[in-house]
Amino acid sequence: MIFFEPFQFPFMARALIELVILGVLAGTVGVLVLLRRLAFVSDTLTHTVFPGVVIGHLMGGDGGIFWGALAAGVATAALLTLLTHRRRVSEDAALAMLLTTLFAVGVVLVSRQTGFTSDLTAFLFGRVLTVTEAQLAQTAVVTVLVVALLAALRRPLLLRAFDPEGARAAGVPVGLLDLVLNVAVALVVVAAVKAVGTVLVIALLIVPAAAARTLSDRLVVIVPLACLVGAAAGWLGLVVSYQASVEYGVRLASGATVVLALVVMYGLAHAAGFARRRLGLSRARRTAMEVAA
Amino acid sequence: MIERAPTLVLDRASVAYGDVPVLEELNGVVHEGEAVALIGPNGAGKSTFIKALLGLVPVVRGRIEVLGRSPAQARRDVAYVPQADTLDPDFPVSVEQVAMMGRYRRIGWLRRPSAADRAEVAEALERVGLAHRARDRFGTLSGGQRQRVLLARAIAAKPRMLLLDEPFNGVDAVSQHALLEAIASMKEQGASVVVSTHDLAIAHLACDEVCLLNRHQFGFGPTEDVLTPERLRATYGGHALELRGDRVIVTQT
Repeated sequence: MIFFEPFQFPFMARALIELVILGVLAGTVGVLVLLRRLAFVSDTLTHTVFPGVVIGHLMGGDGGIFWGALAAGVATAALLTLLTHRRRVSEDAALAMLLTTLFAVGVVLVSRQTGFTSDLTAFLFGRVLTVTEAQLAQTAVVTVLVVALLAALRRPLLLRAFDPEGARAAGVPVGLLDLVLNVAVALVVVAAVKAVGTVLVIALLIVPAAAARTLSDRLVVIVPLACLVGAAAGWLGLVVSYQASVEYGVRLASGATVVLALVVMYGLAHAAGFARRRLGLSRARRTAMEVAA
Repeated sequence: MIERAPTLVLDRASVAYGDVPVLEELNGVVHEGEAVALIGPNGAGKSTFIKALLGLVPVVRGRIEVLGRSPAQARRDVAYVPQADTLDPDFPVSVEQVAMMGRYRRIGWLRRPSAADRAEVAEALERVGLAHRARDRFGTLSGGQRQRVLLARAIAAKPRMLLLDEPFNGVDAVSQHALLEAIASMKEQGASVVVSTHDLAIAHLACDEVCLLNRHQFGFGPTEDVLTPERLRATYGGHALELRGDRVIVTQT
């Protein structure tokens, strides 16, 4: 079977496990990002983690990437929470400045290295086929921690997303919850940086959640569905890029292929959601007519 | 007559955002089971008044006491009902889930809602006449129905004080009736109610007392004493028009 054959190779199996775990992590966090309309804030975080990745790499090689990203992620998540809470500067402008400044710092640092372009490509777009077992373990630990934290805080997070004034009135610590979500987004970037890089991770966060939202109105369905879509796109992207290179000699970057697979799945979900609504509508109309008759 | 306990005490209170005073020299007392209407033009500080009672805007001078405590300390016994149209109608929550939010503080973080929590939510939705819509998505309801769901959420919290921000804005007659009924039943159970509104008729109908606001307080007391043409004209600063001596039409709100 072409869909399972590639994964007899250990490097492909590791890549698949990495993407499935990331699918669960990014799917869960992504739904919250979508509900809070924080796509741009999340995109900013993906870029501000970048200099941390570079500094981590300079200081500790491949093993340093995770810790560098972690430090940068947590620091900028805190900075962003502060920035978005005082609206002195327009939020969009502040985010755009922060995003480009820190991104430029990262590029300047990389450009001083000898293997400049190759390193830059790896940091930006990831190298999922070279994921090690130690990195798998890191991703798994981050996923368990983040999903457990968000599950424990699900009620205040939901109230804050739905009705911020009501949440404040009920004594919910809104600023603290915002920090938690921003750190969670930063941790997704940290966990995904090796596999898909800092640029493509935003797709992993937003697309599965958006796809799941078109298919259901219920959060108990949307969250697992988003996880499933993310994991399935990881698997599909790996299969396609593997078969393209082995069977047809076409080299497709696996990370980017995964993102394209995500977009295809979003298109399918959108079509299915549209059909579901049309069907539901006609069924409701028929019931109404029967009741009237 | 039994003396009812005061639930809200305003004593020469001023509230401010940073250095900018929004409301000054507020005075008055509300007792258990009483409802007070906040009346004044747009930008008069009605929403700020409500936020001050929640401890979300600081009192810079004087004193505000809610249920015998500072506003921030009283929060767990106070329920706030925001305007329904400030909430995202696309948000994927059911009517029942919204009403359950009123129980969150009692449920805690890890426990699941108990049978008692579910019963409170069902009863609260019953009281606003929307039990049959419990499983529908919040955004599929009409504006007036959404406002009733938010009131049900507050009722489910079993508050001793209920704060409503313009609950009758753009609400159809059926929903207005349901809101008034639910507010009356909360009063009967001893809760105090503070409701901001543009509608003088509703103030007459639902409230025992009126607080006239426009940056300053232009009157606080029994509805018949305070809702006079002179005071309304003072509050609305020339935008009120007198008709036949005892009726007032507010030309700009």
